[in-house]
Amino acid sequence: MTEPLLEVSDLKIHFFTDEGVVKAVEGVDLVIERGKTLCLVGESGCGKSVASRAFMQIIRKPGKIVSGQMLFRRKSDDGTEEIIDLAKMDPKGYPIRQIRGKEISMIFQEPMTSLSLMHTVGHQITEMIRLHTDTTPTEAKVSAIKMLQRVGIPRPERLIDEYPFRLSGGMRQRVMIAMAMSCNPTMLIADEPTTALDVTTQAQILDLMLELQHDYGMALLFITHDLGVVAEIADDVAVMYLGRIVERGDADTVFNEPKHPYTQALLRSIPKIAMQRDELEPIKGMVPSPFRRPTGCQFHPRCAQRFNLCNQVEPANTHLNENHSVRCLLYEDAEARTSNAEAAAHG
Amino acid sequence: MANQLIEAGSNGHQQPALNDSQNLVEARGLKMYFPITKGLFSRVVGYTKAVDDVSFDIRAGETLGLVGESGCGKTTVGRCLVRAYQPTAGEIIYRKAVDLTKDAQKRQFSSHGFKHNDPSSQDQTIDLATLTGRQLSPFRHEVRMIFQDPYSSLNPRMTVFENITEALRNSGMRSRREMKERAGYLLKRVGLRPEYMVRYPHAFSGGERQRVVIARALVTNPRLIIADEAVSALDVSVRAQILNLLEELQSDFKLTYLFISHDLSVIRHICDRVIVMYVGKIVEVAEGLDIYTNPKHPYTEALMSAVPVANPRQRKQNQRIYLEGEVADPSNPPSGCYFHPRCQYAKDQCKTETPELKDMGNGHFSACHFAGELNLRGAVMS
Ligand SMILES: Nc1ncnc2c1ncn2[C@@H]1O[C@H](COP(=O)(O)OP(=O)(O)OP(=O)(O)O)[C@@H](O)[C@H]1O
Ligand SMILES: Nc1ncnc2c1ncn2[C@@H]1O[C@H](COP(=O)(O)OP(=O)(O)OP(=O)(O)O)[C@@H](O)[C@H]1O
Ligand code: SF4
Ligand SMILES: [Mg+2]
Ligand SMILES: [Mg+2]
Repeated sequence: MTEPLLEVSDLKIHFFTDEGVVKAVEGVDLVIERGKTLCLVGESGCGKSVASRAFMQIIRKPGKIVSGQMLFRRKSDDGTEEIIDLAKMDPKGYPIRQIRGKEISMIFQEPMTSLSLMHTVGHQITEMIRLHTDTTPTEAKVSAIKMLQRVGIPRPERLIDEYPFRLSGGMRQRVMIAMAMSCNPTMLIADEPTTALDVTTQAQILDLMLELQHDYGMALLFITHDLGVVAEIADDVAVMYLGRIVERGDADTVFNEPKHPYTQALLRSIPKIAMQRDELEPIKGMVPSPFRRPTGCQFHPRCAQRFNLCNQVEPANTHLNENHSVRCLLYEDAEARTSNAEAAAHG
Repeated sequence: MANQLIEAGSNGHQQPALNDSQNLVEARGLKMYFPITKGLFSRVVGYTKAVDDVSFDIRAGETLGLVGESGCGKTTVGRCLVRAYQPTAGEIIYRKAVDLTKDAQKRQFSSHGFKHNDPSSQDQTIDLATLTGRQLSPFRHEVRMIFQDPYSSLNPRMTVFENITEALRNSGMRSRREMKERAGYLLKRVGLRPEYMVRYPHAFSGGERQRVVIARALVTNPRLIIADEAVSALDVSVRAQILNLLEELQSDFKLTYLFISHDLSVIRHICDRVIVMYVGKIVEVAEGLDIYTNPKHPYTEALMSAVPVANPRQRKQNQRIYLEGEVADPSNPPSGCYFHPRCQYAKDQCKTETPELKDMGNGHFSACHFAGELNLRGAVMS
């Protein structure tokens, strides 16, 4: 049996800029389970990073969590299990700092946003370890070296004396990964963690993450645009469009029976190695302006299957079965139709 | 001292000749060594041989792929070509564009579209490796790099507009309206709203920032673009849009690309030829599909075996070759063939003799002693 570790409902995050309000996240519902991998995919700018930063209460100004719940299950200081709402926590307070980095830890999309230029790699990892665990500097250094070794850094005992700017892009990314995993978090948020890694190194990192997941029951929220990686590691997949989850299901179902027109289009745009050149199929149209969100279904201006209701009615979340839900009027209708038909048959 | 290692520049005064008139760039014997220092007085205790005696050609109008393990020296090769680094040794022979007079330059910028000089009328060459300071400035416009890490390559204190048009301002352009038009046009082409120009880089998502960097590289009408993981932060749909844009610019203006990426399906899609590097050296070069169906170096084979397939049902079928053993250290590489400690086909000869890059016919080159004998497995074609 799995149990929910984090239950997010109706999360909204807005940026209050001079030009207007950017509704980056506009009602996200998600469940992240212990020991499982949830992959979050979606178009560039759809709100994946902003949503996941909210789980750690590190939204940058002028952004704000304007509504929603983020129920996180954890062991309280006296050892009993408690459920806290992360959305209600003070971003600067002591309680969230206890959780951040130790219980929920994050691999950031751009390593240089979170690595310091002024300190050596070794200093940064050992600080992280010592902040959250009760270790001596020597012990922390030993475990830092061990972790760097596991992410495939050559000669880690020398590398810990290097500064980040002297490392390659993929090496920096792996330093971040080592740092995020060094405290055995209950939940790891990995935001595009392997974009700078070649496929063999990437495979090694994915194996390592799954190993930690297996050993410690870590929950993994994996944000990636690489659908090959999703297919490789996901238990479940959530597809996001313009600040909302539009489809969610287990990996096999989402890849082989995608229901939402956006998911279908996304899967069609994957370049395949066997394919001839000049066949790439981007989704037509531009991402709508965040200031003027479309009426009805947010995807309708770009949707190939839209019909007369799509620009008027906002689709609700339709559960196709226990593990598969979609936000699209095509299915709402279908369901309504069958239930009507059933009602008619029984009546 | 690093200077003692610098051999470049010794023959810089003659006009260097290209081996093939089809080439835009010929890099010969390129080396980039970074000193490793220790202690209070920064004593040099060794060198990271990031790029170690690499030679390759870039043909005018082609897209040349560059792949290899993280840390093998791909970015360093790119940074040498745009002369962000002074190479330790080697030549970078570059075929110059016809001299642009100030006047012609002005005309070029005056429309939104891209205009380009016909590259066939150019036969003057220059060794970029020997140039210094001001001598380089004309080429800064022609050879542009899309840097791997958008966050640190954009100036956080300048708006996106200022970031994109910086090169134009540096070359004396003054008209704000013209620059706005051009920046707006480019933003639209990379799928961003022109209104975003006034924002600062931190107010964008990762993929949006990456596209700002692409727009910035295109702003000068370059001839050669080094795209370092330029689409790696983009979802498949936006990525398809950008790749189509790059191809369109190429066919319209004969743009040439050196395309660095770890994503082998993208490389497959966009590249005419592919170079594979391993620890600072080139181990294989091949035309398009050849490298996928018919790899001739064991490292390439391992790389191909690890390409993820976008279908969860094929997970178990994936027969990945695990690279066992230590990852090679570029400051202290293994003896003989650098790949031998991790190669499943290594024999005694591999421990002692360094293999040369051999011509296997059909534009296929491999640096493996047994390139002709091994029957290596290609990528899973899905
Ligand atoms: N400080 C800010 N001010 C205004 N808008 C912002 C700010 N930060 C982010 N945004 C906007 O919020 C939206 C969501 O951004 P987010 O970083 O979550 O995207 P993402 O899904 O992670 O995309 P990517 O795949 O490109 O990383 C984007 O449209 C972005 O422009
Ligand atoms: N400025 C520098 N000073 C010292 N060493 C450097 C510097 N830049 C790169 N290196 C070293 O040179 C080697 C090659 O780095 P490079 O960035 O070229 O790799 P890469 O192939 O681009 O890798 P990735 O795919 O991870 O980006 C690495 O060992 C790196 O640590
Ligand atoms: S609701 Fe309509 S517009 Fe939206 S995805 Fe479904 S068919 Fe397309
Ligand atoms: Mg992001
Ligand atoms: Mg690099």
